[in-house]
Amino acid sequence: MSPGKQRILVTVLIVLGILLAGFFGLRFFHTFRELRRHGPPPVPPLASMEDAPAAETDVELIRDWMTVPYIAMTYHVHPKVIFDALGISPRGNEDKSLAQLNEEFFTQSPGLVIELVKATVQAHQPTPTVESVPPSAP
Amino acid sequence: MSDFLLTQIINYGAPILGAIVLIGAMGAPFPGTLIVIAAGAFAKQGLLTWYSTGLIALTCVVIGDNLSYAMGHFAREPVLRRFQDSENWIKAETTFNRWGGMSVFWTRFLLTGIAVPVNLIAGTSGFGFRRFFIYDLVGEAIWIFGYGGLGYLFGTQWEVVSDILSNISGLSLGLILLAIGIWLSVRQLKTRPQRNEVL
Repeated sequence: MSPGKQRILVTVLIVLGILLAGFFGLRFFHTFRELRRHGPPPVPPLASMEDAPAAETDVELIRDWMTVPYIAMTYHVHPKVIFDALGISPRGNEDKSLAQLNEEFFTQSPGLVIELVKATVQAHQPTPTVESVPPSAP
Repeated sequence: MSDFLLTQIINYGAPILGAIVLIGAMGAPFPGTLIVIAAGAFAKQGLLTWYSTGLIALTCVVIGDNLSYAMGHFAREPVLRRFQDSENWIKAETTFNRWGGMSVFWTRFLLTGIAVPVNLIAGTSGFGFRRFFIYDLVGEAIWIFGYGGLGYLFGTQWEVVSDILSNISGLSLGLILLAIGIWLSVRQLKTRPQRNEVL
């Protein structure tokens, strides 16, 4: 390889390397902060490892690619409740994603299905109970 | 694309996951790492069985890698006809035979974007099949069970882990390119005074 071509190759490698490292480095920093904010969920005690996982409660984690039965399983809500809220029959629609259901049944209102599902799931979350605190000694 | 694939995995389970990683290992631009992490989260939710899903995915991805190695292997003859006497080709072949194992290993789970080209080069450059298979199997086992395990650990928050890992992969690739660029420029600078002395 001629010295001129070598110099071009070196320049391209260095510039590309800096761009990639800078771009992904910044994104890494940003998502790492996100992760620290969320933190890994606590590891359940060994005795409860065999049981079914606890229900998810954060409806903001619902995505367009999810299906109604999957959401129902994740949030411990009966699928019929969600289908009823959408006004759609479960038959033939159970393996369709929320995006597909939106396209098929609510073409004029993009994003409607996911919002309806979020609201329905939220409405069926168990209300938090306040643990009784023993009265403090006088 | 990833949304469609995720919907298919929650509908049809491990066989679809196996098909995705197999086709991805042969060069289709599928978001394999994201899918593997999501599969780990689905296993935690009880949607998939972690050990059978892991074994199916590992078997499929190794088959896919070996098929792309085979493509390179069968392309060896025409490549050799064209470059056999080229000094650069001989140098590249020697270098790959020396460092190929590590290249195969690291590109299975860290620099996944260049895994397919590495498979093709391994096949074309006559890198031994047994060595390729062992490095491939170990690297892919880390990819499937390590990344899938992170998805399992983080459960429904797996998207954050997926973002972090894909950024680490891009960052590593950038740093490697930068290191190669710096190494080449230092080598150029070192050889330049020698040339001047000769002159």
